[in-house]
Amino acid sequence: MDTAAHRVAVTHAAGARGMSPALTVLGGTVISLIGLTWDVQWHSDVGPDTFFTLPHLFLYSGSAISGIASLVVVLAATAAQRAGQRHDPAIGGRAVRTLGVFAAPIGYLVSGVGAASFLAYGLWDLWWHGLYGFDAVINSPPHIGLLLSISVTMVGAVMVFAAARDQRWGRVGTLCALSVLLAFSTVTVLGLQNLEGTVSWIDAGTGFVSVLILLVGAGCQAGLRASPQAGSAPGQHGRPGGALLIAVGLGVIQAVFWWFSPWAAHAYADAVGLPVRDYVNGVPEMPSLMPMCLVAVALIIESLLAWGRSARWTPAVVGAVGALIVAACAPFQSALLYGKHVSSTMSIVATSVAGAVLGLLAGFLGWRFGRMLRLLSPAEGH
Amino acid sequence: MRRFLAALVAALGLTVVAAPMASAYEPVNMVHTERVQAGPYGLTVGFSVWPLRAQQSLDFTFIPDGGIDGKSGTLTTVNPVTCTSRPQPLARHPRKRDVWGLDVRALRVEGDWTFRFQLAGPLGQGTGELRGLTVLAQPGPPMALSWSISILPLIALVAFLVAAWRRTRAQVAGTVPAT
Repeated sequence: MDTAAHRVAVTHAAGARGMSPALTVLGGTVISLIGLTWDVQWHSDVGPDTFFTLPHLFLYSGSAISGIASLVVVLAATAAQRAGQRHDPAIGGRAVRTLGVFAAPIGYLVSGVGAASFLAYGLWDLWWHGLYGFDAVINSPPHIGLLLSISVTMVGAVMVFAAARDQRWGRVGTLCALSVLLAFSTVTVLGLQNLEGTVSWIDAGTGFVSVLILLVGAGCQAGLRASPQAGSAPGQHGRPGGALLIAVGLGVIQAVFWWFSPWAAHAYADAVGLPVRDYVNGVPEMPSLMPMCLVAVALIIESLLAWGRSARWTPAVVGAVGALIVAACAPFQSALLYGKHVSSTMSIVATSVAGAVLGLLAGFLGWRFGRMLRLLSPAEGH
Repeated sequence: MRRFLAALVAALGLTVVAAPMASAYEPVNMVHTERVQAGPYGLTVGFSVWPLRAQQSLDFTFIPDGGIDGKSGTLTTVNPVTCTSRPQPLARHPRKRDVWGLDVRALRVEGDWTFRFQLAGPLGQGTGELRGLTVLAQPGPPMALSWSISILPLIALVAFLVAAWRRTRAQVAGTVPAT
């Protein structure tokens, strides 16, 4: 048995052990996502805010669950290492020495650091509201810090599943975790709201993030063949469709939240005896931020990747095309949903060009990050 | 590890101690009022905080003489820096339903703001403005510093990805997509 095959056999045995903490971390991020869409809808339709509303508690508990699960895995890995046992890299990736004491599997280290960061930004947010009041805007500095912290935890969740991608649950979980990260990021980009000008940086940013994550999935999922200059072997379980599956995952999240967000906000308002605002437009807020054209964009991305498979520049060009479409469609989606006028032609063109330029970078980075994710798997990370 | 656990417990303790003061919906108490005449309608504009400061949120109430029944209208807030404005319908305050208002709303920049009211009711239509509504400088740290702190997780993530990129360069190099 060669070394790689032996590693795979050993990690299959460890697979069941790794699945529970991975699912717990992912579950925590899903709870955070539910809390976010609920909170955004609450502020839109009902309004009054405190530090401990039910949607906020979902946000806090999501990070707490992910953080505690990460801490438990890190402590277990540290204890195992001190007992002289070798850490299985299929459980969260290779263990790295942290703070001179811990042996932290890299995926759980990232998810745990995100959760700890969330706690710190939560305290800052409390101080912020004490100074400025409870103005319910999503794009305040502490809120963006909180959203970025949760995003870091979600990146950790992606890594945890990617480390186990020799197994089916690892591959499926990687794509699910990427879909959750993408859904969440459509709100995080609202931090760009303060950038003014002809370009809608929120739309261009949504194009960037969408393409980045789709290409991460495509790069992680797709098979690879050796270039003439290098001797790397094709990856196991390689197949196309990563981008498409993530887009479908986002579509499912969007559809569920389309129903859930207004229902949860209004049910909670009834429960605490608060009225719904006058002039509520009835549009689910967070699902409306998710690009509705993404399945079509993912199909185009998959087709272009297949067509240009021998070229190194393919991911970047694919990224530019994808982000251009997402950025160009965004104002039409907004106009359709809210019954508003479409932005000016100049703004749409400028935003599309900005999206395409950012998409070049997103495609290049996303594909590379996808390749890096594959290396977390014991079968390939040697 | 002990220091780590102690810091974790301390942070959780701070959160629990801070919970009661942050968990109650505040009543709508006005501490200052101004009068506006919008055509045939007199209007009292109330503020829950006075003086106003940029970024600091407060409750506003808009109470026409004789109450809001049978009346409607719009409010346009004119930003003193960008001079932009967007009319919005006058809606009932969520925590004081017998008057119109804005709940925990902040005016973003310092300067002299204008509130423009357009009312309609049994006496016809009328327009009036509250001009020279002075908003003082923003309290707390400069926004640039706050934003710099807020993006630290992103900076840390980018630094991590750069390090991972460099470490995996040899393994990733040379592979091209295949389908």
